[in-house]
Amino acid sequence: MTAALVRRRALTFTRWNANHNRSIGQLPLRRSQSTFNHFVASTKLQPVSPPPQLRSDAKPFRLAVKDNITTEEFPTQCASGILGQHASPFEATIVRQLRSRGASIVGKTNMDEFGMGSHSTHSVHGPVRNPLAATDEEDVSAGGSSGGSAVAVAVGDADVALGTDTGGSVRLPAAYTGIVGYKPSYGMLSRFGVVPYANSLDTVGLLARDVEPIRSLVFDTGLYEEHDPNDPTSLRLETRQRCSQACSPNLPDLSQLTIGIPVEYNIAELDPSIRDAWVATASALESQGARIVPVSLPSTKEALCAYYILAPAEASSNLAKYDGVRYGIRGSEGDAAGETLYSETRGAGFGAEVKRRILLGTYSLSSEAMDNYFIQAQRIRRLIQRDFDRVFKLDNPLYEPRQFDLSEMSSDTALEDKQGPVQVDFLLSPTAPTYPPKLSEIQKRSSVDVYMNDVLTVPASLAGLPAVSVPVKVDRSHQFPAGIQLIAQYWDDRRLLALADKVMKLMMD
Amino acid sequence: MSRRSLGELSSYLLEGRLSQRGCINGRRLSSRTVPIWPCLRLPYALRHLHTQPVAAAAAAAAGHVPLRKQLKEQAKQAKKQGKKKVKGDSQTADGWELTVGIEIHAQLNTSRKLFSPAATSFNDDPNSHVALFDVAMPGSQPLFQKETLIPAIRAALALNCEIQPVSRFDRKHYFWWDQPSGYQITQFYEPFAKKGHITLLARDGIAAEDGESVTVGIKQVQLEQDTAKTLAQAGSVHWLDFNRVGVPLIEIITEPEIHHPRTAAVFVRKIQLLLNTVDSCVSGMETGGLRADVNVSVRRTDDPSKKLGTRTEIKNLSTIKAVEDAIIAERDRQIQQLEAGGLIAGETRGWTVGSKETRRLRGKEGEVDYRYMPDPDLAPLVIGSDLVQHLQTSLAVLPDTELDKLVDHYGLTAKDALSLITLDNGARVQYFYRVLALLESKLQAEPDIAELPEVKSYATLAGNWILHELGRLTTYKAGPLASGDLSFTQLGECAQVPEEDLSQLLYHLYRKHITGKVAKELLMAVYLGELEGGILEAIESNDLWFKEISQQEYEALAEAAAEGEDKMLEEFADEDKYPRGKLMYLVGKMMRLGPTERIDPATAEKTMKLWIERYHGRGEAA
Repeated sequence: MTAALVRRRALTFTRWNANHNRSIGQLPLRRSQSTFNHFVASTKLQPVSPPPQLRSDAKPFRLAVKDNITTEEFPTQCASGILGQHASPFEATIVRQLRSRGASIVGKTNMDEFGMGSHSTHSVHGPVRNPLAATDEEDVSAGGSSGGSAVAVAVGDADVALGTDTGGSVRLPAAYTGIVGYKPSYGMLSRFGVVPYANSLDTVGLLARDVEPIRSLVFDTGLYEEHDPNDPTSLRLETRQRCSQACSPNLPDLSQLTIGIPVEYNIAELDPSIRDAWVATASALESQGARIVPVSLPSTKEALCAYYILAPAEASSNLAKYDGVRYGIRGSEGDAAGETLYSETRGAGFGAEVKRRILLGTYSLSSEAMDNYFIQAQRIRRLIQRDFDRVFKLDNPLYEPRQFDLSEMSSDTALEDKQGPVQVDFLLSPTAPTYPPKLSEIQKRSSVDVYMNDVLTVPASLAGLPAVSVPVKVDRSHQFPAGIQLIAQYWDDRRLLALADKVMKLMMD
Repeated sequence: MSRRSLGELSSYLLEGRLSQRGCINGRRLSSRTVPIWPCLRLPYALRHLHTQPVAAAAAAAAGHVPLRKQLKEQAKQAKKQGKKKVKGDSQTADGWELTVGIEIHAQLNTSRKLFSPAATSFNDDPNSHVALFDVAMPGSQPLFQKETLIPAIRAALALNCEIQPVSRFDRKHYFWWDQPSGYQITQFYEPFAKKGHITLLARDGIAAEDGESVTVGIKQVQLEQDTAKTLAQAGSVHWLDFNRVGVPLIEIITEPEIHHPRTAAVFVRKIQLLLNTVDSCVSGMETGGLRADVNVSVRRTDDPSKKLGTRTEIKNLSTIKAVEDAIIAERDRQIQQLEAGGLIAGETRGWTVGSKETRRLRGKEGEVDYRYMPDPDLAPLVIGSDLVQHLQTSLAVLPDTELDKLVDHYGLTAKDALSLITLDNGARVQYFYRVLALLESKLQAEPDIAELPEVKSYATLAGNWILHELGRLTTYKAGPLASGDLSFTQLGECAQVPEEDLSQLLYHLYRKHITGKVAKELLMAVYLGELEGGILEAIESNDLWFKEISQQEYEALAEAAAEGEDKMLEEFADEDKYPRGKLMYLVGKMMRLGPTERIDPATAEKTMKLWIERYHGRGEAA
């Protein structure tokens, strides 16, 4: 790390401590410390464009924005040394959409550098700390990579926070901090202005203490209907309408619903008390009349491998632009013979985890490894998506209806009737296999062990499906709630959020 | 059909950089030095695609050198190096077969960039047309501009390619300062056009060894982005102009099916002409809008395995001549290496205009692995068959078809036909058609002619004047009054020499109402704007009508011219060594002796010739 970087980091910390002595408010926090390092200190910028026109239905609310989403009022630096205090000349579509709906931005939130991490520890600003941890205990992970956003909501600094979810980066911190984290269907919310980590997986996610503010923003104000011409992966209007017609807007009574328990998600590493919360949630739903059935998603086992090939591959490509010519600090060397312009810049500017993933991705895209890694991972991604399409009652509106051959399914798949195995409306699973680990523990773990944390969230990301994590506290004696995840068919977001709301209320009683 | 010999034509086409300063603007035209290909000009305004500024600077220094001087220099060089080989001989190397594959990058004629709505521009202020995505601003995304497909598909159709209903965009990764995102978006795995071919004909100037024609397969055509322009400054400073970044290019990749250096050069030139004709690519090599990379390998002709040798790639060839020269140099280097028992390393090499050898740029170990990856932000490119159909039917007439018509129907020489097609971006040939149509209607209206004469007889006259006499107008001979270059509209109109005037003039000339000399003077007067009442009035008022002397008077003049030339007349005795020069001397003498303005040189020549035949007792039959 260069001296300049160290200096800046030190400065950041001091400034933060001097300016942010706000009280945490009503939350039952047992910590004396007033900050969890969840906001990124930055000087306010002079916006280049006028604020968006307020809509007639705008209601004021406080919005925290993850630091990989561009804002005109604040720099955008993705918790990376290489972006310095990058002043974006434009504002992300999602930020403008929310501002026109009454959002005022309270700050940019800390995160894992470029969204790469599961604990918000890989940041040039230092790790985010979990506010739910006991004061006398060591620092605990707030989850990542949108850890700062989750904490901002958890401690009441913001009503809603924007995060990004590539493989679980909204759901995981939501689970760890006891709030709601929603990852919409891929292509629903605009990514224009989101600094990409892995474009084909990146989604903008929303975090709040309850489901309602999220549901209201996305559906009541029509966010889900808005196509962004600046984002080539934003679904076009016609497609949105077609998809919406394929999914009912209303959640029927629970007695009309079938909810699947994916058996592959019951992994050995699952914390017994989290398993208890999962079972309790399923039982509660069953008691309300829902039909609970086990389902099989056989490709799940390969999902994590596929994710950790595809995401770093795209990352290695996306991050190639930070080369010191336009972005990133320049080293003293040029590109003359014997000098290295790019490696010095990139070596100094990126953190260890980002470098690790760039190397991983560079390798899996290299001509000798491409076929064995990248192409295979793409195939697995297809299989995972087919797995989901097979178990959901609703057809995936993006594809022609598919027939599934029984011979393609594993032999132990239970058949519902002569039509084939049972199909479900939603899938229910835990969000994370364990409770938030201590930061000191994470440091001891190998990176592969850390990647394991994403095992339950990456399948929905690979398939582009909507998923939401809600906090469920079964074991009252336990310090942390468990995160319970619901997954739905593509574009079935509205019913998904309605069910999430029900689950949360059901489990609070 | 009158055809030039292959040798003459090809040396003309490739070596005949007769006008270094733009055949397009019609300068320096004379009957002897007809410039044909705009691309033959020396690269004085190079604009490399993906290139280092060093090469551009070196090439730019080459500048303008008169042909004669250049030929002399070349001869001198050859002598110094003890090489007696002349160009024509270097197409083959005994015992070896050369194989060449070519990649051509051409800028598409579009108003917007490939993935951003920023305008494409040529000489605008640096960094004045740059969208967020063009500079890879974090959070920006590519927006495919579908209009760029039109010229791209036209190009692919002109190259007889199959347009793929679905193609995709991939990222090609490498670090270079002119590439802001660290990768170029191209079509590596699934290009939009495949399996094309073009046929090169003898008249295009291919190597004699390739015979009448050779067909070169086009493996694929892909869409991709151009890079930023580097503006080298003093010291080690470089400035970057992002106006060019993201400008759409097509890359045309051939099968390795070319075996002679000249044919490779002709291929590049023909591609340039084709792309220009179908309006896919408007700027040629001379402005940097087109650039070629060649892959060269050699193998022994008696090698039974028939396996291609290891190839090397020569990058960034920016003139047609460089293509041929670099291939010859690289072939000879490879042969020399192999004959000395060495091996060829698969590497990238460079070529500087005017040099004798290719130079190593980077070896295999220095090659970057481009790590091609499908671009996750870009949807597959789906091209509807209706669009392809429409573009196919509206495709401009390809040069070969038009050339055939000009040669076969109108009787022009292949050389003149080529000139007509290429001059003024195709406007000159349109002018030709306009003048011809008017001339035809004048001939039809002629009461003395029962039926229209053979089209070739007046079309060649028109062609000759439109190329050569028109070209002469803008040379220094026109004096200080000359208004500069002739300019033509795209439809072939020329305000300086209206088609009505020229056709009127040609009509009288064709009908022998006026002499060629008078016609030329009238043409100059038209051009200088000196005729107020039009051609006819000028002839009338100045009494320029051609009143030809009688046949008897011609005979008498021939007799008079021959007088006292006995010694010269003896030289006509041997029919096999007919001294044409001497004949023309005698004709000239006839013209001087008689009333010049009333003598038709052609009739004088005919009369003189017959007179000599009779003199030698060979009679009328000869």
